Amino acid sequence: MTDRFAPGDRVRTRIADPTHHTRLPRYARGARGEVVSTAGHHPLADERARGLASDPRAVYHVRFAASDLFGAGDHAVVVELWEDYLEPDGSPS
Amino acid sequence: MSGNHASSPVAAQVRHVEALLEERGLLDPHEIDERIDALAAGGTPANGAALVARAWVDPAFRERLLADGNAAIAELGFSMGGALQEQKLTVMANDADEHHVVVCTLCSCYPIALLGPSPGWYKSEAYRSRVVREPRAVLREFGLELPASTRITVWDASAESRYLVLPRRPEDTEGRSEEELAGLVTRKGLIGTAAV
Amino acid sequence: MSRINDVGGMVGFPPIVEEPDEPRFHADWEAHVVALNGALLRRGVYNLDEFRDAIERIPPGEYLAASYYEKWFRAITTLLAEKGVARPEELAGD
Repeated sequence: MTDRFAPGDRVRTRIADPTHHTRLPRYARGARGEVVSTAGHHPLADERARGLASDPRAVYHVRFAASDLFGAGDHAVVVELWEDYLEPDGSPS
Repeated sequence: MSGNHASSPVAAQVRHVEALLEERGLLDPHEIDERIDALAAGGTPANGAALVARAWVDPAFRERLLADGNAAIAELGFSMGGALQEQKLTVMANDADEHHVVVCTLCSCYPIALLGPSPGWYKSEAYRSRVVREPRAVLREFGLELPASTRITVWDASAESRYLVLPRRPEDTEGRSEEELAGLVTRKGLIGTAAV
Repeated sequence: MSRINDVGGMVGFPPIVEEPDEPRFHADWEAHVVALNGALLRRGVYNLDEFRDAIERIPPGEYLAASYYEKWFRAITTLLAEKGVARPEELAGD
């Protein structure tokens, strides 16, 4: 399976708020960021935590501006996210 | 939270569960003791300090460490293989323009294989909640005042990678031996809550 | 539905407290809990994501009141019961 994203891609994180275990932190949901690098391929934590079979898929370091996460702040936050949590951000930010 | 607590209720519960699991064949006799010995002999911050000192004196090693942490640390005999599978190590270098700091907001992910168990504050809700939102204020509480011109990048260990910060080499350390340089590096420096 | 562990960006937590000369473990039982968890993971009784999930399912008030390794031990016993290794009353020693 080919990776859905590459470094430099603009992405938007999912908004969904699952009841099960997930590794997309709440503060980074529905946020726009940029893929910094690919960080390997791993089964999805959400599936493994529920005892489901899970194929490895790409995981990325995604950089967010703090102001896009919290409405304030001049720093950046890099979060490591499975590609399932991401969609392309085609719309202008 | 100090002392041995050997007689505390939870200590007795842990012993009870261990005995039960041994009875059911899910633990071998001495397995726990062997694992505890292995933990004690495992990673320590001195490993991280040795890597930093090498990177300070050897620019080619520094490049390799930043490009492929797992391969570079093997040169000094270290590995990220203490857990069930080897973890990817990403090393970020501080400079005048950018300072890096590491957190795991969701639990307590940390390069244990390399550095040993994390400090209590790293696992606290206070650190985990605050450092992603107000890193400059948190670093100030740790006594680290960064110039306004230095950008801060917070790395949230939310998946499979583990992170190590490569601090800036202090000024006036020309001519110091690699060993002396390693002695300057602290655990907080490796996490990013101290300059070195 | 975010769980209590998902504290990144929350406001209201106090200043960070460092413990001087912090030992690796504050009591022998903490090291035993780490070793026990490692042994059960190695045997595949549960996986690391199931373990994290079990910590996150601790009710919020108890999660915040428990020490780090108390949370671990609670998650271990929760999973041993859910995986059918032992009944809760057996694990509790009742």
